Amino acid sequence: MRNDYNAARPTVIHIDLNSCFATVEQQARPRLRGRPVAIVNRRTDTTMIVTASYEAKAMGVKLGMRLKDAKKLCPDLIGLESDPPKYRYVYHQLMRIMQDYSAHVRMKSIDEGVIDFSDSTLAMQNRDLVDIGWEIKRRLWNEVGCAMNCNVGIATNRFLAKTAASLHKPNGLDVITADNLRKVFGTLELTDLTGIAEQFEKRLNGVGIFTPLQFLDADPVLLQKMVFKSIVGLEWHQRLRGWEVDKRDFPIRTAGRQYVLDGYKMPRAEVLKRLHHLCEETGAKVRSQGLVARGVSVHARSYSDTGRGWRGSYWHARHMAAVPFFSNQAIFEQAKKLFEGAPVFVKEIGVSCYELSEPDESQLHLFGDDLARDKSLTNAVDQINSRYGKRVIHSADTLTTRMVKEKIPFGSTRYL
Amino acid sequence: MNDETFLNERVDVVATFGTGLNPCVPIKFRRRNGRVIEISEIGLRHPTMQGNRMVHMFDVTDGGADYRLEFDAERLTWTLSMEADRS
Repeated sequence: MRNDYNAARPTVIHIDLNSCFATVEQQARPRLRGRPVAIVNRRTDTTMIVTASYEAKAMGVKLGMRLKDAKKLCPDLIGLESDPPKYRYVYHQLMRIMQDYSAHVRMKSIDEGVIDFSDSTLAMQNRDLVDIGWEIKRRLWNEVGCAMNCNVGIATNRFLAKTAASLHKPNGLDVITADNLRKVFGTLELTDLTGIAEQFEKRLNGVGIFTPLQFLDADPVLLQKMVFKSIVGLEWHQRLRGWEVDKRDFPIRTAGRQYVLDGYKMPRAEVLKRLHHLCEETGAKVRSQGLVARGVSVHARSYSDTGRGWRGSYWHARHMAAVPFFSNQAIFEQAKKLFEGAPVFVKEIGVSCYELSEPDESQLHLFGDDLARDKSLTNAVDQINSRYGKRVIHSADTLTTRMVKEKIPFGSTRYL
Repeated sequence: MNDETFLNERVDVVATFGTGLNPCVPIKFRRRNGRVIEISEIGLRHPTMQGNRMVHMFDVTDGGADYRLEFDAERLTWTLSMEADRS
């Protein structure tokens, strides 16, 4: 474990598109530029804002706010429904530009990615990363559009590069090195650090750490034993000093989808149709990665009348099957059974598959013929949908669930 | 503001096909009612797959309203699919 700050030349660039979805809409529709824009998944007053443009943010509009509340703060706010294909295109353009500089590009989400120059060619390593950062900004303007802006952060590890990219929004470019590390940390709050949210902040406060500088100076054993109670504490000690501990990939553990219902007192039959739709999308996700699942988990957020107003609560149930499964029908049958225990009035439903693994083709199953038939049928449907468009073939039960739109894939980039 | 109207209107389009990053550039289009719209800026062009068919979406403006034109690369047809913010 290193106690010193990493004084090596920075080799990591973090690129973050500014207010990505709102900016892409302003790029696509020039008349929206300079105006407050909010992106929502469904254009109703109660829907939550997914992204707001900088003009809207300047008026106090925040992510997660309801559109009707945001309109009180900003009466001229323009609510637009999300358009995932457009965002996916910009994501691929950004990735293409980044891959021109290094083979080691890792997209962290639909609107941000990291270029690691540590294993690059000598010619590329000799280039100034600040020049490359400005070049990427210029290329984004020229090759995607003049309204597109990105923040660029440069540092010795992924964590500090991301921190640098968030220092001057929008359109900033910052470098964090061992020389200015303490100065930068002196301007930040604990929750400005990626990975430190309310819970960890409380734990840090509990041991007398209230600022990033105190966090930086903290004893690694204190972080390991008292705050994070695992090796994560030591990783934080290294991460804050600019040493790389995040250069790793995690295998896919779960795949699923959730949906905020288009009505709060919906009959159970209608809820189940939407659940069926989610199961079909979840099945497609699992199969797109060449995996099979062993478990299904369903959840619901509900509202109940307590006599003194409506109170929200969270319900979930899960089931582990004896044999792996992959078909939409298998997922729905289990999810439907689990959902029998769900509360009456639900606001949000979700389904996910867990214990994902590669299919084990070597073992013969007792019900091998049934499984083979199921697999052939599912493959045939997937191939037709792949050729003629998503959901060309789907269950009759979900004929009326067009309102369950394609969702913006925020976290994982596996399905982009 | 933001009075999006979704359409499915076949239109005649004058476009140039050249080289470079944006090889296809629609210049103007004529709507079914005979109105000709001169495109002053292409906001974004993004391709989408509709099954195996590639459709290129052009978000354009004439300075007075925003439009979306769809070019079906298989059938070689242009469709006006959205009009918004007519001033």
